[in-house]
Amino acid sequence: MNLDRLMQIDRRIIYLFVAAGTILPIIFLLGLPVSTTPPVRMAFERIENQLEKGDVVLVSFDYGPSSAPENDPMADAILRHCFAKGIKVVVIALYPLGGLSEAIEELNKVAAEFPELEYGVDYVNLGYKDGAQAAMRKMNESFKEVFPLDVNGTPFDEIPMMRDIENYGDVKLVATLATGIIGEWWANLVNAQFGLPVIVGPTAVSAPKYYAYLEARQMVGLLGGLKGASEYERLVMDKYPRLAELYATPGLYTATKGMDVQSIVHLIMIAFILFGNLVYFTQKRKPRAAK
Amino acid sequence: MPGLGTWLAAFFTLCMLSFLYKDNPFFRVAESFFAGLSLGYYIGIVANQTLKPNLVLPLIQDFSANWNLVFAGGLGLMLYFRYIKKVAWVSRWALAVYVGYYVGVNMMQKLHGEVIPQVGDTMLSLSYSGIDTLWNVVMVAGVLSVLVYFYFSAEHKGAVGGISRLGIWFLMVSFGAAFGYTVMGRISLLIGRMVFLVNEWARPLIEAVI
Amino acid sequence: MRKQIPLLLTFLAGTIPIFAFFVPERHVGLVSTGLDSWLIIVYGFALLLGVVNVVQMNTNKIKRRASGWPYSIVLLAGLVIMGSFGLLGSFDVFGGIATRPDGSSTPFNWLYTNAFLPLQGTMFALLAFFMASASYRAFRARNVEATILLIAALIVMFGRIPFGEMVSKWFPIVTEWIMGKPNMAAQRGIMIGAALGAASMALRVILGIERSYLGIGKGE
Repeated sequence: MNLDRLMQIDRRIIYLFVAAGTILPIIFLLGLPVSTTPPVRMAFERIENQLEKGDVVLVSFDYGPSSAPENDPMADAILRHCFAKGIKVVVIALYPLGGLSEAIEELNKVAAEFPELEYGVDYVNLGYKDGAQAAMRKMNESFKEVFPLDVNGTPFDEIPMMRDIENYGDVKLVATLATGIIGEWWANLVNAQFGLPVIVGPTAVSAPKYYAYLEARQMVGLLGGLKGASEYERLVMDKYPRLAELYATPGLYTATKGMDVQSIVHLIMIAFILFGNLVYFTQKRKPRAAK
Repeated sequence: MPGLGTWLAAFFTLCMLSFLYKDNPFFRVAESFFAGLSLGYYIGIVANQTLKPNLVLPLIQDFSANWNLVFAGGLGLMLYFRYIKKVAWVSRWALAVYVGYYVGVNMMQKLHGEVIPQVGDTMLSLSYSGIDTLWNVVMVAGVLSVLVYFYFSAEHKGAVGGISRLGIWFLMVSFGAAFGYTVMGRISLLIGRMVFLVNEWARPLIEAVI
Repeated sequence: MRKQIPLLLTFLAGTIPIFAFFVPERHVGLVSTGLDSWLIIVYGFALLLGVVNVVQMNTNKIKRRASGWPYSIVLLAGLVIMGSFGLLGSFDVFGGIATRPDGSSTPFNWLYTNAFLPLQGTMFALLAFFMASASYRAFRARNVEATILLIAALIVMFGRIPFGEMVSKWFPIVTEWIMGKPNMAAQRGIMIGAALGAASMALRVILGIERSYLGIGKGE
């Protein structure tokens, strides 16, 4: 076998392997088990054990289409958990390129699964706001001044649940699904200066740096990437049979199903890396042997 | 049969994926259209979600209580003076307030929200109390050696060089972990698009045709 | 004057939030939170600066018939279509920019779901392919450091998938240990260093030592 030729293989062949590795497990689901890790369990237990029915959680959609396949399942899982437990949810968005639309789409989708809940009483979408850190700082004083209208244009005072929610003091927790730096701002600005507990659901690309915040107790939970989302799904399914039924719906895309695909493609990538290194070391030894 | 929206989404997805074969006009058109849509999206959300509820409506509905927002609006508009040569210098005033505010906020965020808690949490007990002591040593050694590596005011020779080398090894472990996570992240994005193509476009299309 | 006043404004705008952080006095707090409200609005205007730039650039390209000018038409078309629906939505034409009360999509939302989302999503999805190709060709254990990086990457990649645990229960445990200990330590070191650098840069900007953001040099 000519190893040199294998190293110069057309990159489109590699792309085909990756594409096949992605498409086949979508068609033929593997149903691989998902185990949970401490950072995700901490997030789950914070909401499950330390919040009561009627408490308020702020969910901030700080991502867009560039990371939607990772952050959407996290958002869905957290929203479903809150709704199943009777926790009120205030949804906002601080990411300019798509945060608002992701918030609208995911909240509408999950709320439709809980027809007993009422918009404005059990959950509300206050929409997007510019300013990022300025908005975060101002919310400590007044949600109304930052979000005078909700996403549909309803005045703040006309939203029943918001009459009792003035600022961060009336919120028990913020869960931010984030791409980029906004998740860090919740930890190093809002938690540090105003003491609001923060759960961050970052993309896998950003997740490694959040371990430092988690260790320093600036966060109370971390859902890293699609794996983190699948772990949270596992935990809510184990606790709430209603949600387990929902997640078993055929055709519903979940992080757990995504992990099947992830597993196959990871194996392909690992194989490529190992093979590349095998060829490298073999080629390195050849000239020495020739001498 | 997939609806019009799904067909449009599938078309754009395939246009983008065509770049994997080679650069082509379909990809370039899709890319340019995306750039235009992004900017149009900004216009929509800024106008609808910030300028209307936080500036325009408060001024219209209760000017006496919100008159100070005129200055905020004025500062915002001043930013656009940079496009008029004669009065471009006016935009510096707005830029000065904007940049000044955010660096001020950032400074406190960095010092109070990052340096102090992170340094505080690194002050771990190194007196023996089981396996945790070993991990504490790892953490303290890691943080200190990485900080020494990034200290370029002293030459990395001798003891400093040795500690700096340990810092590099910690960084390599971290970058390896970051690489692993990045692979995961990128694949997740691909999974999202493929799930759409297979489950929402291809399957219904095949079922409708068959 | 044209240079001094902006520097003074930077100093004031920068020190107000810092001062308010340390002085828990009502009037200081009011000024600081008032500035927060203003900057939410100014940020919105700043976000649209890029739009003006891009429109200028692409219009010039079309006028001069520069290379790739037809694509500029496509770009401006996308901008006008999406921007128009967005602006009209602000006046509640077509039902706004979210979803209507009956659950149907407004044009802005429809375009987001069926054009913007697939375009941006696929653009980022391409990275998975490029990563696979780059890993195959370039990821080599050439020296000690690269070997450490490679081993850590392989353990994490294998440990984060269900197959890892099926092969050995130690894979996910070692992966979590890598993330929680050596990775965390290195990230913390980077974070502290970067934060100190950012804080010192912020101080330079507030004190007027660093002026490049205004387009004026040190000596001016």
